Amino acid sequence: MTDFMLFLPELFFILGALLFFIFSLRKTPNPAGYHRWAVVLAAAGLLVTVASSHQEGMLFFNCYRVDLFSQVFKVLMALGTIWVIFSSGELKGIDTRQHAEYYFLIFVCTLAMMMLVSSVELLTIYVSIELSSYSLYLLVPMRRGEERYFECGIKYFMIGVTASGLMLFGISLLFGVGHTTYVPQLIKVLPTVISQPAAIVGLVLALAGFFFKLAVFPFHIWAPDVYQGACNQVTTYIATVSKMAAAAMIIRFAGISGGASPAMIKLLIVLSIASMTFGNLVALIQKDIKRLLAYSSIAHAGYILIGILTLNSQGYAAAMYYAAAYLIMNYSVFMVIMKVADDGHNLQIKELAGLHKRSPLLAMTLMLGLFGLAGIPPTAGFTGKFLVFAAALGKGYLYLVIIGMVNATISLYYYLIVFKAAYLLKPVKEYPPVRVDFWTQFMSFALVIMSIYLGVFPDRFLSLTEAAARSLF
Amino acid sequence: MTAMNMAGFPILTTILMTTIVGLLVIIFIPPEKTKLIKQVSLASASLGLVLCLWLYHAYDFQKGGLQFVERVLWVKSIGIYWFNGVDGINLPMMLLTSVVLFTGVWTMWELEHRVKEFFALMFLLVAGVYGVFMSMDLFWIFVWYDVSLFPMYPLIAIWGGTRKEYGAMKLTLYLLAGSAFILPAILFLWAKGGGHTFDLFMLQKIGFTPYVQNVAFLMLYLGFGILAAVWPFHTWSPVGHVAAPTAVSMIHAGVLMKLGAYGVLRIGMTLCPQGAVYWSHLMALLGTIGIIYGAIAGLGQTDLKYVIGYSSVSHMGIVGLGLATLSVNGINGAVFQMFAHGIMTALFFSSVGFIYDRTHTKIIPELGGLSKTMPVASSFFIFAALAGIGVPLMASFWAELLVLTAAVKAFPVAGILACMGMILSALFMLRVVQRTFYGEKNPRWEHIPDVSKFLAVPRVILMSCILFFGLFPKVMLDVIQSTVIPFVTRF
Repeated sequence: MTDFMLFLPELFFILGALLFFIFSLRKTPNPAGYHRWAVVLAAAGLLVTVASSHQEGMLFFNCYRVDLFSQVFKVLMALGTIWVIFSSGELKGIDTRQHAEYYFLIFVCTLAMMMLVSSVELLTIYVSIELSSYSLYLLVPMRRGEERYFECGIKYFMIGVTASGLMLFGISLLFGVGHTTYVPQLIKVLPTVISQPAAIVGLVLALAGFFFKLAVFPFHIWAPDVYQGACNQVTTYIATVSKMAAAAMIIRFAGISGGASPAMIKLLIVLSIASMTFGNLVALIQKDIKRLLAYSSIAHAGYILIGILTLNSQGYAAAMYYAAAYLIMNYSVFMVIMKVADDGHNLQIKELAGLHKRSPLLAMTLMLGLFGLAGIPPTAGFTGKFLVFAAALGKGYLYLVIIGMVNATISLYYYLIVFKAAYLLKPVKEYPPVRVDFWTQFMSFALVIMSIYLGVFPDRFLSLTEAAARSLF
Repeated sequence: MTAMNMAGFPILTTILMTTIVGLLVIIFIPPEKTKLIKQVSLASASLGLVLCLWLYHAYDFQKGGLQFVERVLWVKSIGIYWFNGVDGINLPMMLLTSVVLFTGVWTMWELEHRVKEFFALMFLLVAGVYGVFMSMDLFWIFVWYDVSLFPMYPLIAIWGGTRKEYGAMKLTLYLLAGSAFILPAILFLWAKGGGHTFDLFMLQKIGFTPYVQNVAFLMLYLGFGILAAVWPFHTWSPVGHVAAPTAVSMIHAGVLMKLGAYGVLRIGMTLCPQGAVYWSHLMALLGTIGIIYGAIAGLGQTDLKYVIGYSSVSHMGIVGLGLATLSVNGINGAVFQMFAHGIMTALFFSSVGFIYDRTHTKIIPELGGLSKTMPVASSFFIFAALAGIGVPLMASFWAELLVLTAAVKAFPVAGILACMGMILSALFMLRVVQRTFYGEKNPRWEHIPDVSKFLAVPRVILMSCILFFGLFPKVMLDVIQSTVIPFVTRF
């Protein structure tokens, strides 16, 4: 019975997925009904996840660990999932016949990611990450419309498969070096052999799969095309929920090295600087807001890496904090995009013109989201950056922090361009009015309050992430 | 310095809250009720003013040190404290902020375009400014510093004038690039101090190694120096001032630029005294170049706001030079100059703002002979110009006198050059006054009404401030000195 409790959130999402699988067999689709079902199930899923958030224990021959670290991420992912599902009421980007499949794949993907953050055995990890990846490979090309949207689906698949291949090779090397596939045992063995090239290469290649998901340079190439090519809701899902899983797994794998590998730290520093700089510089010239956010997500992957590469629990806690903040602020921006482009087209930055008149509330949510992404206080984004940088300086990486801050200043430019569009520009033509329902109003206030609360009162959530980071070891 | 009396009533947080509550109330007023928004704004600004005046009155300068302390542990694991207090350095700054906010809100009474957002953003900005001045915790100083900067972008880009979008973007990016140095410096000091406190006074006791001090001070000086318009990082300042609407120019030039100099003094010179000694020649050099450069650049301008923008560069050079001397007189003068310049620039911008509102031009040759058609408005500007020159009986006279005597003693060459810079600045101020207000009367402006009694009030308040502290400099110098005398013993 206690084992059952440990696996409850996952079981619940399996159930949800099965239900939508059955719905997908029906001849006459009922999109509105599916949406109601999905909302109820996702809400219940969130409650179940929160209820089991203090569970601890091992499952499945010690392949599966339920601890504070995994449960915090599961709550974040359940939260992200319900937000995405709530915003899927219109779902104009996907053919109505496929709505049941859409919800099915969303539930499967969340399930896979929940399993991912709890897995502590390399093959289980691999299976989980593939399950989540394949759901996304199917979700991306589901978009209705032009042929070229398929192209991005294929691109995503090809790069994803390559990353998986690298990851498998890395896992085999780790097994060769450590003679085990269990992460807790690897943590004990690996620090003693970390100076061997095979160990470092294995670890880095194993990380490649997660770098792909988090869109860390040089595994970022899919991001702009997929963000642009997938329908808005799927992009939101990729940009929020799947990033949580990737961040969690990079933290878990970085923890394996035991914090004593200069070569790996150097590599992570290089990747982090490359991601931040590349992402921010290319984002400067984007016209499509989803492409812009794709490049900004590459940059944010770099910031999260700064926290992780300290390889101590303070840094992991900071990275977790940053990930949570990123979830909130990125969803704020995407929610506004989904609302403004409710017919499902790709929103250009200039189409946001005059948003402050069309919907002051959405404009405010967008502003808070953008300022959070840019790292301006008193938002959660700022406090996250502050904690990440503090952790890095605790290890003495002054130059890295300076580079990070210079990058934050560069990024401010393109966030201000979006802000300017919403608050300053006059629309060139008459845009249809933005319909703001009760749910969106509620979410706008909730996101703004959450962002500011986490930004100004970080103490409680920070001690939670610190406890979670300690449970890693 | 460490004398702390725990006041029962958190007066400082209350002052901060006057702006934040004002902001929240404004957010929930429907945008079409502009009159109500303005009344709420003025009410909350005047509440802040009254509290600051009381604070100034209640501060015991004979005892000196940090008073009205509020200290609560905020984030345990990395040691952030909600730690506020006032001493002789930030007390004049608080007073300055409240006066400029009050007069600024009053000056904008005729605003009609997007009123609600304007006042909301202005209160956000001022909340940041109050926060920086009262905080004694590095985390909060940085937070409030950034909070005070980013509202500048919409404030200039929406309500601004000449090349507003360019000016706004340039200003915002420049100032936030400054914080790209400040945040690493703060975290560097925190990490070197053991990584368990951001409390300024606890860090001060640690005594950093000379290397740490030199590195951190340079970063802080560059970061805050951008906001203090230290030459060669001043280029955002005239452009931004020209683009900004009147009250924003007032707050920006009057108060926000002081944050830069204050940051150098409060964080840099407090935590890195040896770093300050090490870099003092650089500070003196850049300060002197600023004084002379501002005056020369001002000579060539034809736009009234550009003239004031460059005079600000010059006057902030005086503050920089005063800090560089690391002596009692120099720092006293620098702090006094921050106050005096703040009030004076606010008066400058508020009178130019009025002239611009009425004539829709601020090009000097077009204005000509304005004192005959708008005698009252002109007198405000001329009064500010006299204060800018540093005529005796004006507050800035004492400030400049103190700084220059200290500078001549500490850096004879720079000091004498700075004195010559003052003559240049007198020359360019008088030229501007002569060409704008005297000479041929321009018939275009004949029928334009002068300042109404209602709109004259804020300007008169600013004028009387300048005059009061010019006649009784002791009222302020006693307060400043009480902190500066123990402060300089560390160098």
